[in-house]
Order: sequence, then structure tokens, then C-alpha cells
Amino acid sequence: MKTTIKCIIGTLCLGAAALSGQVANAEALDDIKAAGVIKVGVKADYKPYGFLDSSGASIGIEPELAQDVADKLGVEIEFVPVVSSNRMQFLEQGKIDLMIATMTDKPDRRKVVGIVDPNYYSSGTNILAPKKYGFKKWEDLNGKPVCGIQGAFYNKRTSENYGATIVAFKGTAEAYAALQAGSCVAFVYDDSAIVAKAKEAGFEEYEMPLPTIDDAPWGLAVPLGEEKFKDFMSEMTIDWHKSGRILELETKWGVANTPFAIAMHEKYK
Amino acid sequence: MRTTTLKSVLPVLLPAKAKSGSLFSFRLKLWHGIILLCICLLTSTAGFAQSDPIKASVFEILLRWMPLLLTAFIFNIAISMLAMGIGTAAGTVLGLGQISPNAGLRKFCWFITQFFRNSPWLVLLFFAMFLLPFEFSIGGIDIPLPDWLKATIGLSLPVMANMSEIVRGAVNSLPSGQWEAAESLAYSRRQTLWLVILPQCVKRMLPPWMNLYSILTMATVLASVVGVSEVMTTTGRALASEGGRPDLLAPFYSFVLLIFFIYCYPIARWTVYLEKKFAVKG
Repeated sequence: MKTTIKCIIGTLCLGAAALSGQVANAEALDDIKAAGVIKVGVKADYKPYGFLDSSGASIGIEPELAQDVADKLGVEIEFVPVVSSNRMQFLEQGKIDLMIATMTDKPDRRKVVGIVDPNYYSSGTNILAPKKYGFKKWEDLNGKPVCGIQGAFYNKRTSENYGATIVAFKGTAEAYAALQAGSCVAFVYDDSAIVAKAKEAGFEEYEMPLPTIDDAPWGLAVPLGEEKFKDFMSEMTIDWHKSGRILELETKWGVANTPFAIAMHEKYK
Repeated sequence: MRTTTLKSVLPVLLPAKAKSGSLFSFRLKLWHGIILLCICLLTSTAGFAQSDPIKASVFEILLRWMPLLLTAFIFNIAISMLAMGIGTAAGTVLGLGQISPNAGLRKFCWFITQFFRNSPWLVLLFFAMFLLPFEFSIGGIDIPLPDWLKATIGLSLPVMANMSEIVRGAVNSLPSGQWEAAESLAYSRRQTLWLVILPQCVKRMLPPWMNLYSILTMATVLASVVGVSEVMTTTGRALASEGGRPDLLAPFYSFVLLIFFIYCYPIARWTVYLEKKFAVKG
């Protein structure tokens, strides 16, 4: 009995002592080439930027961009599904080599991960609301329940600046259902997704009534300090803008060409 | 003189009848299944009626995603089995510690048991997710600790504590005569425990242990909160990939409910059967 207990305590101590490992990354680009595979963190619940097909494979605009990177490097690709709350952690921990996961470029995030310039995409915040409410400005939402997605940065803004009460859901399906059931007066989300949704059957009585706010660029990211890999990704991004690849992907996945993508294409053409 | 009229010449005492029906006599039959299926069909068609006829029918969509959802469910089962294994092993040690003759060890094991038994499962899961490192090295070899394994460890903590109580309860439930008899035969404490007490406990522990497993299996969906790709996470992704159609919510979540029910109900039946089998005849 006693020896068993001692054994267990000993193992626990050994385990605790071993919990002190940090990965030292030398050159990510060389490591990727040597491994022959690039691990890319993409969203799995964000149609059309990153989602799943029924076989479980990652598809969408961002997985296709990631595939371009893998093709250029001549390596295999491995998609790792990430969510907003763990994507930067995964990159820091080395679980992924590259992150293309609808992340808004923010100064505080630049301290944690290596965000690549120029930005590859951009989106703003808007609401989907029934036409009957006739919202005209963001202040109209004051004191009203507004649906949102858990972990989205604009939830805080909508509640702090405009006084809305945010009801946050796990996924878009739940949020749309709550909106249709009248649990909230509007759904705050990305403008490009809302434009597409308002055109769908069942949403004829809904509109995107407010001016888009927070039009912020998205940043794809590499681990902090990987300058060579970052330069490589900068070139990749400029190529995408130059060749109109982003515009082409938007059309392919059913998103109206965004002003940002058009402007970047003009700039680098 | 008063005469008493008796209904019967020879009054007899009738055997006592239980007033309520026995709970154990109720079990699912085929027609229950048909009713369940009808409810599922009704909710699905209600969803279908709302949507545009051009869109693929709810059933087609569900059928398309079914293989992926079932694969994810197998992952849930794997998590539950592994957590049960770890929890049972650790819980048995802890439970035996609770009945140790050493007062210090007994108190320590009691404290650990009570601590983990009275903590919410989800909180323990978060605790494991964020306190365990993503990889650790033993002798220069990096051993990665993936999220699902961390979640498994997190779930095995409450299992361990509950198992500890099951073991303690089972040992205490044995008549003290067993201990005394073994002592009179000059068995050491360890011999008594291994050769006399524990073999008798296994029978008593099996039904609550299986109950615990059932509860654990149903709790594995908690892992979706911390981003493990199990069946709830996959359902969420499937719903998002179908463009967030609200009419798909009920059929998809009903399907998840159904597969859990199909898996857990036989375990519950079997537990009842074992309970009956091992029950002391009155």
C-alpha cells in the first residue's frame, strides 16, 4: 500500500519537474522544407473564409490561400482547425507554422505574433436586423439585446460605445435562429457575411441598415521573430494582390468583391 | 345482544401489495422507438417547411454529414474510455487510501476525493486545459500533449474522485465479520484486502461504476467548450459550413442526442440487470 502511494507521489513529482519545455525555433522556413509539410491554422466554422466539407476537409478562401503557400514551397499541407481564442497560442506553441484565420490586425496582437505586411484582407462590422425596426444609426441599439458570436472583438465595442446588450452565441446558426425567434433585435457580424445572408431565402425581411464601422484589415501571421518566413509571406501576399487572386477567390466562394481587395489589386497592379 | 356480520366465515390475511408499480418493470420497447423516430421526423419536416424548396432537404444534408459526425462520436467514446481507465486506476488507489490505517494518508485521500468530487466538471476541464503544458520533455525527448489528451485528463479527475467514493463505500458495505474472520485465520491486512475484501467488492462496485461511465460519456461533450474536435464541435462546424441555417439546428442536435442515447441506454439497462442480479435476496 505505502509503496504504491510513494510510487504515485514520486511519479507526480517527476511529471511536475518535466513540465518545463520550451521550443526553440531556429528557422521556420527551413524546418518546414525539411519536414516536407506545412501546418496551417485555419477557421473551421467561418463560411466562406474557412469551413469544412462533409468529408471533414478544410475548404474556403483561406485554405486555398494556404494551399498556394504550400505549392510555392513544394511541401504538403496540413490544416489545423483553430478558433479565435486559441489561434495565437497555437502559433506561439509551434502547433502551426502559419495562421490564416480571419484575424483582425491589432497593435497588441503584433506583440504576440508576427503579422505579415501588407494585409491580405479586410472587413468591417455591421448588423443584420429586421426591416420593421428601421434602425438608422448605431445609437439606436442602445439598451436593446443584440446577438453576437462568442469571442468576436466587436461585441465589446457594440456594448460599450452604443449601449447594446450582447447575447453571444457559439455559432452563426444559433445566432440566426435567435434573431429569427426575436431573442434579439439585431445580429452584429462581419459586413461581407451579412450582405450574403440578407440575399438568402428566409431573410427577405432583413437588412443591413447601418454604416459599416471598424473597417479593419486582417493579418495572416507567422511565429514572432521569423523574419525570413515573414518576408516570404509578404511577397506571397503582394503576389495575391497583384494577380487578383483574392478577387478571384471571393467570386469563387460567393462573396461580392470587397473595396479593400479591389483597392489593393489597383495598388499593386 | 349485538351481532357482528362477517363477510367471510374465515377471514384471511391477503399478501401485501406494493401500491406503486415497480420502476424496473418499465423498459423501452419497439413502439417507443417508433414514437421517437416520429418526433424526429416531425421536427425535421417542420424545419424543412420553413426553408426554400430549392435548398437541399434537411435529411439529405444530415445524411451527408453523418459519417463525419459518427467519426467524431467515436472520438468521444475514445475520450470517455481513456478517462474512465485513468480515473478508475487513480480512484481505486485513492479509495483504498481513504480506508488506510494511517490517519495522515486517510485524511489526505479524503481531502483529494472531496475536493474533486465537489467541483464542477467543466471547471476541472478548464483547469486541466490551461495548467497542463502543450508538451513536456523527459530526458530530452519532447512529448506533445494534445488538447484531447488534456481534456481526457481533466475529465478523469472527477471520475477519479467518484471512483474513490465507490471503492470506499463498497469496502465499508461489507460486514465486519469478513475482516474478523480473515484476521482469525492470521491473514495480514494486505492479504485480507486483496484476497477477501476486494473480490467481494467488485460485484458491488460494478453497477455504480457503469453508471459513472454513462455520466462521463455524456460529459465528454464538455470538451467542445475547450476546442477539442469532438461531436459537438463538429456539429457546430457542420452547421456553420451549411451557412448557419437555423432550420438545421433541431435536426442536427437531435441526431447528436439520438446517438448518445443509443450508446448510453444499453449501458443503463445492463446496469439495472446487474443491480438486480447482485442484489441481496430479501
